[in-house]
Amino acid sequence: MSASRIRAILALAGKDLRLLSRNRATLFFALAWPVLMALFFGYVFGGGGEKGRIPVVVVDEDRTGESTRLVALLTATAGLEITSAPREEATRLVRQGKRSAAVIVPAGYGEAAGRLFHGAPRKLELEVDPARTAEGAMLEGILTGAAMQSMQELFTDPSKTLGMVDRTIADLGSAPESEGRDSTRKFLGELRSFVERPRPAQTGEGGGPGWKPLEIERREVRREKVGPSSAFDFTFPQGILWGVIGSALGFALSLVTERTRGTLLRLETSPLSRLDVLVGKALACFVAITAVETVLLLLGVAFFGIHPASWLLLAAATLAVAVCFVGIMMTVAVLGKTEQAAGGLGWAIMMPLSMFGGGMIPLFVMPAWMQTVSNLSPVKWGIVALEGATWRGFSAAEMATPLGVLVLVGLAGFALGVRLFRGGEG
Amino acid sequence: MLALRDLHKRFGERVAVDGLSLEVRRGEILGLLGPNGAGKSTTIHMAVGLLEPDRGEVDVDGRGSPRNPAVRGMLGVAPQAIALYEALTPEENLRFFGRVQGLSGAALAGRVEWALAFASLGDRRRDRTAELSGGMKRRLNMAAALVHDPALILLDEPTVGVDPQSRNAILDRVVELRGAERAVVYTTHYMDEAARICDRIAIIDNGRMLALGTVADLVSRHGGDPTLVVVEGGVERRIATRDPAGELSRILSAGRVDDFRVERADLEAVFLRLTGRRLRDE
Repeated sequence: MSASRIRAILALAGKDLRLLSRNRATLFFALAWPVLMALFFGYVFGGGGEKGRIPVVVVDEDRTGESTRLVALLTATAGLEITSAPREEATRLVRQGKRSAAVIVPAGYGEAAGRLFHGAPRKLELEVDPARTAEGAMLEGILTGAAMQSMQELFTDPSKTLGMVDRTIADLGSAPESEGRDSTRKFLGELRSFVERPRPAQTGEGGGPGWKPLEIERREVRREKVGPSSAFDFTFPQGILWGVIGSALGFALSLVTERTRGTLLRLETSPLSRLDVLVGKALACFVAITAVETVLLLLGVAFFGIHPASWLLLAAATLAVAVCFVGIMMTVAVLGKTEQAAGGLGWAIMMPLSMFGGGMIPLFVMPAWMQTVSNLSPVKWGIVALEGATWRGFSAAEMATPLGVLVLVGLAGFALGVRLFRGGEG
Repeated sequence: MLALRDLHKRFGERVAVDGLSLEVRRGEILGLLGPNGAGKSTTIHMAVGLLEPDRGEVDVDGRGSPRNPAVRGMLGVAPQAIALYEALTPEENLRFFGRVQGLSGAALAGRVEWALAFASLGDRRRDRTAELSGGMKRRLNMAAALVHDPALILLDEPTVGVDPQSRNAILDRVVELRGAERAVVYTTHYMDEAARICDRIAIIDNGRMLALGTVADLVSRHGGDPTLVVVEGGVERRIATRDPAGELSRILSAGRVDDFRVERADLEAVFLRLTGRRLRDE
């Protein structure tokens, strides 16, 4: 392909994208309408609610004043949504994705809090979904902060400090002889004298080599693929597909408009071939659909809790959906001879495909027979691909089927469109 | 520049073009006239490579058929419809059609400036095309066909629906193209336009060439005799004669004549005589 031919095809695509950017109605149906649909159905299906707080379940097996104080601190922490449950229930909630993490306060936590400078440190168990590493790290920081706050209270209350020092000195009496035991006992004696003096309490970093105020035992609890974490997880893929359909039909109509307005005649009497004209149109449609999908997905990720399980697979799903609907656009554009015919034909094809493909009602609430019928709809495979790359957490192997179907439908549509379009050449 | 040789084209049982031959030379404006359904559009579509003739050949400047994309680069086509993108500005339209024709860089910029000047739209270059008047759109429609400086230009009714001032401006531009040694094929329903700017006129009907020549030739060959109209005692009498002066002299010698005039055939009369139909009534 010569450079001038490539330039001409790029000019065709650029022209179409410029025309699209100046068509407010098409932009609305490509970008704003899908978001409105996703939000509307998202709220209808119970999505939304208060966002921005990490849902955490707490298991208090210690049931001491210290553990109660820790739970109260966590509850008061902005950014955390705390509920309580027994250990097994808490693990199940994390596994089902209903809670991001479980904080388990094991028995002995309060006792360990009383012996600060010797023996095993206070211990907490944290169960967190490995896909939520950011939330896990944030939670570890919050727990450490809570422990430090508890320690600060210990040192700012002289009676508590003296109690802790006396218990520790008594414990040390029964400990085996060691250099560390003697130096700790000497330090605690100095600390007791310091606390008993009538002067303002001073705070400071405590602990010897290797000592830490809190030990967190972290375990990964892999989330099961049991369902979406919010309604937006499935209404956004639906909305995206509506945006894609709107863009594709917009381009289908634009090719018919080129024919009826006479601009296609100009293009056909230029050095371009009919195939070049179609490739330019397809390129513009592909770019537009990909842009629509990207904008809507980023919006979902940024504001509506959509979690890509794999950015790579999500990119693959986005491109495959674009390929599929470019192909469908080509066929509709060539079959419709007038704007009305193409518009009518386009919606006549897309409405049932969308209805049975999960564009209106989520696939998983459809009856079994309808889910079987939905396999015939590329809309279904588009939604499955987008959901697979997000809340369904498909592996690459699991993504192969929806991606393959989408690309095959796209290529078939393109081939049919080209064949019909070139068949129209005199 | 353009040679159509024994073109035949049939759509099913209907014969659209039946053995039509025609040549258009550089620096010539050839008017193509014919009633609707006469085969004009089919002929034009074959001339620009949109249709393949069933028989016969089309040759552009000795380089072969316009079905060849490289040959199509020599053509400039202004369809009868305003074939422009209304959401784009005149400048964007011209740049786009220039790029499609293979222009780029300084050459493209230069030709866009020329085309804007040709259409007298320099001061409206950044307005949306949708906001232009009908006459401006017509001029831009023609400029878009010329932006790549084609040697052969096909203008399909370029003055439809414009006011007399814009019409005159468009006709003046077409005449300029002849001065620039371009070959122009001009279809119109306005006989006065064809008579004013066309060097030769081809009249076709039923897919066949009925007549081809200058306006004077056509009138002379197909217009019939002049008509002497005399008014005697309030009664008008029409006399077809090859010698109106001699006939009038004979009438005057015989008696009193209140008034007289001579009616000569024009292109419209030629068309009517050849096709049996008036062009504008179709």
